[in-house]
Amino acid sequence: MRNLLKSISAILRALGIAGRQICLSGLIVGVALLPPISSAQEASQRYVITADDEAADLTNTATFYSIGLGGGLTQVATTASGGAGSAGGYFAAGRVSVLHNAQADCAFVGNGASNTVGAFAVQTQTLVASFFGSGTDSGGTVGVGLATNDTYLYVGFGGSNTLGTFAVEPACALAFIGDTAVLGLNGGTITGLAARGNILVVTYGDGSIESFNISQGMPVPNGDAQNSTGSINDHIPNGVDITSDGHYAIFGDASTVTTVEVSDISFGKLAPTIVYNVGTAWNSASVWLSPDETLLYISNSSGGQVTAAFFDKTTGTVTRGCVTQRLNGFYNGWVYAGRVGTALSTGTGSVLYVPEFGGPSSVGIVNVQLSNGKCTLAEAAGSPVSDPNSSALMSIGVYPARPF
Amino acid sequence: MTRFYRLFLISAVLAVFTASLAAQLPECPLRPKPGGALVNPPDVFSQNGLLSAAFTMRSSFDAEGYLHVCYNYDSSSTGRVEAPTLRVNPGDQLLLQLTNRLTYSPPAPPRGPARRPVMTMPARGTSNDPCTGGTMVATSTNVHFHGLNIPPKCHQDEVIQTDIENTDPPFEYSVQIPKNDSPGMFWYHPHLHGFATVQVNGGAPGALIVGGMEKVKPQVGGLPERVFVIRQQFTDPNKWLGGTNQLTINYHQAIAPLGASPVITMKPGAKEFWRVANASNQAFLALQVQFGTTPQPLELIALDGIPVTNSTQVTTIQVPPAGRAEFIVQGPPSNTAASFWQSGVDTGPIGNANPPQQLATIEISANAQEPLALPPAPATPETSPQRFAGLAGLTPTAQRKLYFAEATNGSAGPTEFFIALDGQTPKVFNVDEPPSIVTKVGAVEDWTIENRTGEDHAFHIHQVHFLFLAVNGVPLKDQELRDTVIVPYWDGKSPYPSVKVRIDFRDLEIAGTFVYHCHVLDHEDGGMMEKIQVNPN
Repeated sequence: MRNLLKSISAILRALGIAGRQICLSGLIVGVALLPPISSAQEASQRYVITADDEAADLTNTATFYSIGLGGGLTQVATTASGGAGSAGGYFAAGRVSVLHNAQADCAFVGNGASNTVGAFAVQTQTLVASFFGSGTDSGGTVGVGLATNDTYLYVGFGGSNTLGTFAVEPACALAFIGDTAVLGLNGGTITGLAARGNILVVTYGDGSIESFNISQGMPVPNGDAQNSTGSINDHIPNGVDITSDGHYAIFGDASTVTTVEVSDISFGKLAPTIVYNVGTAWNSASVWLSPDETLLYISNSSGGQVTAAFFDKTTGTVTRGCVTQRLNGFYNGWVYAGRVGTALSTGTGSVLYVPEFGGPSSVGIVNVQLSNGKCTLAEAAGSPVSDPNSSALMSIGVYPARPF
Repeated sequence: MTRFYRLFLISAVLAVFTASLAAQLPECPLRPKPGGALVNPPDVFSQNGLLSAAFTMRSSFDAEGYLHVCYNYDSSSTGRVEAPTLRVNPGDQLLLQLTNRLTYSPPAPPRGPARRPVMTMPARGTSNDPCTGGTMVATSTNVHFHGLNIPPKCHQDEVIQTDIENTDPPFEYSVQIPKNDSPGMFWYHPHLHGFATVQVNGGAPGALIVGGMEKVKPQVGGLPERVFVIRQQFTDPNKWLGGTNQLTINYHQAIAPLGASPVITMKPGAKEFWRVANASNQAFLALQVQFGTTPQPLELIALDGIPVTNSTQVTTIQVPPAGRAEFIVQGPPSNTAASFWQSGVDTGPIGNANPPQQLATIEISANAQEPLALPPAPATPETSPQRFAGLAGLTPTAQRKLYFAEATNGSAGPTEFFIALDGQTPKVFNVDEPPSIVTKVGAVEDWTIENRTGEDHAFHIHQVHFLFLAVNGVPLKDQELRDTVIVPYWDGKSPYPSVKVRIDFRDLEIAGTFVYHCHVLDHEDGGMMEKIQVNPN
């Protein structure tokens, strides 16, 4: 209960109501407006965490926003991440990975230019430390991407084309285990990656994809490197997400329209992908499943929109859903959209947060409505919220993380 | 030691010394240091209806790390120079012998995602003929005579199959300048798909001038003529974000205020005829002559090698990559600070930087050594029937809608670039794919070209000029013949910007397969190009 009160207090602070001024009626209203939350979430405030990706020496930061009622954001802390970012790079390289389990509440943020990972204790918004991989790891100009399966953190170093494996230790510490050198079938570099259970799936930005067995920690190729089906028509897999049961890998394509591809990975390796064209919004490089896996959120990275497609987790099929209008500030403040996060870790997630790359960058807020088998996506009033610490925001994470 | 052995040793030492010296000599002529007087490029004139020249294409890196790619030309009068201005007249024949001896390693791979399949031209047949393609590598090359309305045939102006490798024997281009072509400024440059950016960035291009302008525009007769070829040099031409937009003018770096500006010396108040080619990779130029900071009137004479219908006074001339502008400049009075500027172009939210840049300072001196007046052409250009005559009044035989699009993997690329027909799935250029458009000789087509991206593009089609009709559906007041036009960027809210052009395929000579593309060269190298096949009747 004490934690619940802390949570309520934080939400009210976000609404601009000082702690000592909280009255009983305010508490009641606050409680009444709280969205349904699970017991696991009860323990903590919810945050959007940005990888600000600033490139000058030691200037990179993570900015923490508390998630308020209705999904509004209030900046609560900006913490140095112990290195330098890449100031951009691949849309689909998630630079933030959030770990939320019984042992830890951690956020990992990639420092693409200094080739390190900053580890944060979420509850205190403090940097634990910045962790190096090998001396040859390099984010280069395309940055680093992160993926975790709770036990290990995998870091795709786009410059050196190495997959760094780190063991997640207590108190959000990381222990570097080793590197795996990789290369796309056509010479591409690590563009996106996702881990689930014993499988790690990687895209290379050259039309090819590959999976690895990570049952022993270090990635071991599954021997399934292949050009995606869509690549024949110049749809290039970038981002990737994996269903909670590890049955399907879903790829978002760099494209002039909204194209995703799905591969059955239930046999422990990638099957040929099936292509789904689910809209006309421009570029579908980043994808993210809703917590209940009924919707696939697609960042139309070059079109200033977000698409939601219906996903059938039993069959792996994707069908058209809905799309936002162009989000506020597109091509008038920001130019690219990164991978979304959801406010809630249940259902559709209720509210989407969209990293918006520009100077300064911002976080777009989009409300999700699902009714009678139809969805709507509408940008929230007051969106976007500025991220004054970033001119190159491409990635966010949400704490508590989606349960898979 | 026997005499023979001594001679052998001396010969061996001499041979090693000579080889060593040769290895250290730059393959390309030295380029000017910052500052210094701007002079016209060296000229090679046609004589008795024939211009015959031999170029050797070479490459070397300078002390600052810039790759130089050069068409070397040797003659007893000029010594070794690079990229001379080729001066011909309507009806002349141009015989250009090109020996490719490029040896460089490119600073970076071509722009765009690593591709599947790897870009290749068709393998050469047993005849080992450069006209039948070959392996598309950085050290292969070819030549495009930009703006000339000549056949898309090998040894003339064909760039899809023509692939001259660096071990091939000299390759001869034989170009007949049409008798009924307009006088004006054209240019020549490498056009090997995938490597056009790096070779043009290396400084290879040169100007080609068809004489006779004074007969169409008498006001230029007798005026001192200046020829400026504006190039661009990046240490890594494929690193397209965050780099400097370093322009050069006749190989002088335009880097003021970081370094000295090159200098144009004029007599007070003198009128001169300036001919400017934008031979840059990607710079959109907005040319101005400023007195103090005030842009001055420029009398527009020709665009893209074609005299304009009305010689209007303007203060800024927009010149896309590959465009040319010819205009009359009146010099300032004494004691007036003056300069020649690229005044900067906003190329869009995701466009490349095109900041203002002083190209040269203009110094005034009563004793200034003016350049020579343009040489008069020997005969009046044939004016009837003039090439593209009556195009404005024709009814188009077809209407097409095309669009520029991009698929980007990240804020710093790599990017797939497309020019596609509306309704078709956009695909990056692949030499093995069939032409996107098939038409026939005699056709006159109106094309509307949209820009669905957040950056400017420059539409260009080989072999023909087109009539520039409208921008965003609004007819232009002065509809001129062009070969390269800006298609403005999309702002994210409004309808897609567009240009409308009327393309004249009536000439029997242009039957064949050729290309249209964006002339931002790393867009072209990244796939923003397609083929058109014009069938003979």
